[in-house]
Amino acid sequence: MLSRVADALFWMSRYLERAEQVARSLDVTFHLELDLHGVTGSEEGEEWNYLFRSLNQTPPPAKLGESYSYTVLRWLTLDMSNQGSVMNCLNRSRNNARSIRDSISSEMWRSLNKLYWRLNDRDFQTQVTESLSEFCETVQNGTQLFHGVCDTTLTHDEGWHFIQLGRYLERAQHLLLVLKSQLDLSPVEDTGDTVFSNLHWAAVLKTCAAYDAYRRLYISRVDGERVLEFLLLNLDFPHSVRFCATTMMNSLTAISGELSYRSDNEALRHVGRLVNELTYLDNLEMSNAELKSLLSDCLNRCTLISRSMQKQYALH
Amino acid sequence: MEPSTSPTSSSSSDLLSQYSIGEAFDEMLDANLQPREHYKPLYHRLQQTTANEFRRRKAMTDLSMRQDGVGFTVYQAEEGIERVWPMDPVPRIIPAQEWKLIARGLEQRLIALNEFLWDIYHEQRIIREKRIPPHLIIQGKNFRREFVGVNVPKRIYIHICGTDLIRAANGEYLVLEDNGRTPSGVSYMLTNRQVLKRVYPALFNDYEVLPNDDYPAALLEVLQYISPPTSDKPTVVLLSPGMYNSAYFEHSFLAQRMGIELVEGRDLLVDQNRVYMRTTRGRKRVDVIYRRIDDDFLDPLTFRSDSVLGVPGLVNSYRAGKVALANSIGTGIADDKGIYPFVPDIIRFYLGQEPILNNVETFRPEVPSHLSHILENIHKLVVKRVNESGGYGMLVGPASTKQQQEDFKAAIKANPRDFIAQPTIQLSVHPTFVENRLEGRHVDLRPFVLYGEKIVIVPGGLTRVALPKGSLVVNSSQGGGSKDTWVLAERSLAQTQSQMSQSQSQSQMSQSQGSSQAQIQRG
Repeated sequence: MLSRVADALFWMSRYLERAEQVARSLDVTFHLELDLHGVTGSEEGEEWNYLFRSLNQTPPPAKLGESYSYTVLRWLTLDMSNQGSVMNCLNRSRNNARSIRDSISSEMWRSLNKLYWRLNDRDFQTQVTESLSEFCETVQNGTQLFHGVCDTTLTHDEGWHFIQLGRYLERAQHLLLVLKSQLDLSPVEDTGDTVFSNLHWAAVLKTCAAYDAYRRLYISRVDGERVLEFLLLNLDFPHSVRFCATTMMNSLTAISGELSYRSDNEALRHVGRLVNELTYLDNLEMSNAELKSLLSDCLNRCTLISRSMQKQYALH
Repeated sequence: MEPSTSPTSSSSSDLLSQYSIGEAFDEMLDANLQPREHYKPLYHRLQQTTANEFRRRKAMTDLSMRQDGVGFTVYQAEEGIERVWPMDPVPRIIPAQEWKLIARGLEQRLIALNEFLWDIYHEQRIIREKRIPPHLIIQGKNFRREFVGVNVPKRIYIHICGTDLIRAANGEYLVLEDNGRTPSGVSYMLTNRQVLKRVYPALFNDYEVLPNDDYPAALLEVLQYISPPTSDKPTVVLLSPGMYNSAYFEHSFLAQRMGIELVEGRDLLVDQNRVYMRTTRGRKRVDVIYRRIDDDFLDPLTFRSDSVLGVPGLVNSYRAGKVALANSIGTGIADDKGIYPFVPDIIRFYLGQEPILNNVETFRPEVPSHLSHILENIHKLVVKRVNESGGYGMLVGPASTKQQQEDFKAAIKANPRDFIAQPTIQLSVHPTFVENRLEGRHVDLRPFVLYGEKIVIVPGGLTRVALPKGSLVVNSSQGGGSKDTWVLAERSLAQTQSQMSQSQSQSQMSQSQGSSQAQIQRG
């Protein structure tokens, strides 16, 4: 496979995953805002800051005479001057796809293109601020449909594995950032306001599309440490860091084929160590600071994986 | 609004009620506004279709094109704008007999042009025998003197030719120009068919339309045929300037349909005269390049040194026979507008045959009698610069101002070699959906001819439509649309055949009887 094609597949998939995350996080935070308004009755903006930290973005400046929610909403959905808006991510994903549309199935291209034109529809755009949920749902359905189509119409060969890598690397990084910024907001030692903290941890689960799966497994109230354990260490849930790492390892192994045992496969080495770290971790009974440093280590590992892949496969 | 699917009334519909005939040849209707034989079923169907229903179908084609991402890029200032490919749902229909004549004419023309290219890059017999003035070739912008004496694989220069045909007022098919460099449009020909079948399947019920979807497979066979000898299956790639090129859709479409890699210049490298592509597993050898980049940009070491689209060293590798290119380098001299007037003579010279398809009458300012004719009648003529294409650098006499005419006259007198002039031909018209009804709009036809082990012409071609009323410019960059183009199977005309006089064009169809794809062995 051409290196340029591998690169475009990887980024097509990363940006699409990012678009989905921004949409889901925004939707969840927007509703959390409404809930918290009832509980605390104050502090507008705190949740938004948390959101921007978890997305690794800087918040937009507030505009005079406009509610901050509204500003954020426009900024994260349609604003093309924001590199991290849903539209921008989708646009980049589509541009990558367009540059290699002969290497993906026509069904994949069509599904991505349909999503793009749907979001570019003027009527649809004017409704974004009134019905945010519809917008976010369209994005999530569209991206998931794309991956469904991808899984059933594309040969699961090298190219497909690069798509997996983009998707799960992006997801792992996002999960880690969400958890990390959540630990800032409500540290695990903090046993103060449980209503407040529960709402927040529930929001974390929803942001990671994990609310139902969590409840099915733990059958209890939402609890910070369990959420952390679930999203970090669960082996079978697609939005857990360990699941992402394992998937990346499988894909990297498949791509490198017979060379996989070689010690000069740097990307594979880094993924392997991430998997091991999460698999053989003693337990999560740590202080908030220790947890945060664990998450930071994992994040660094993700950066190393990305960097060594670029080197190894001549990606850009 | 939900349209009625089967209107009870068969009275003439609002679609065709105001249709009128001008001086141009109308593809569907004769001078008495009666449908031609092969258009009758379509005509009756259109009569029973309401404008609303038709508008709905048209909207479906646009949506379908948009969702499939079928389009082209138009550059205005710096921003590239993605335009959706415009297709008119009324198909253009070519009966089997007409198509046979066209196909034979195209084969003949391509074989002759290929002989011409071989000759001017080798013996230059045609110059020595004084059939063409030497300066027309030597000074031609697209003559590559670097390639004199170079042998190209299988002796074929033009593997893919898109020939533009128009119809004169009497219905005769004429060749307007040959495109032997990197002709485009075939992906639209294929897509138009796919989309029309999807949005208006009923139209196909009344006809037996020859399929055209074999084109990518036929093209791949041509490309594999010209490969240098390899131990393995040859590796074929399509070289594109990239996604910002206006024809990028076509490049990716063809690469995908052939199952070959689409590469850009930066994906390729030349080492020891061999061409490789950079892959995730290191280098991979490339045998054949279907290049959609002009000669000038192909190799910065040989042609334009500022080209970043090309591959340094590619030309040397080609010259050494280590890689095959389609089309070959230097074919531009064969579709040079300065050579065009000589193509009938080229056919006679190399093949000893009379041309089956005629040229449009053409005047060359270099000939004194032509020059005076041009200067006197410039207001009635179309004047073209020989080195320009795509509808640029043209003077359409009847639509020009006095000042423009004077400017062109001066330019012609200064550089007669740079111009040709032709009578303003009213291209044939075809009923086309405009706003709420059908109106006649001018069309041309570009069939695609493939030259490999044999010559293959997939039935049909790209019909382009000039959408503004009265316009003769069909280029998509200038507001042209397109139509699906049907070539009918011979048997579907069985009923009409008996009504036609038997003798007509009988002599012209002796060769490829019964075969839908015209094929002949290379001479």
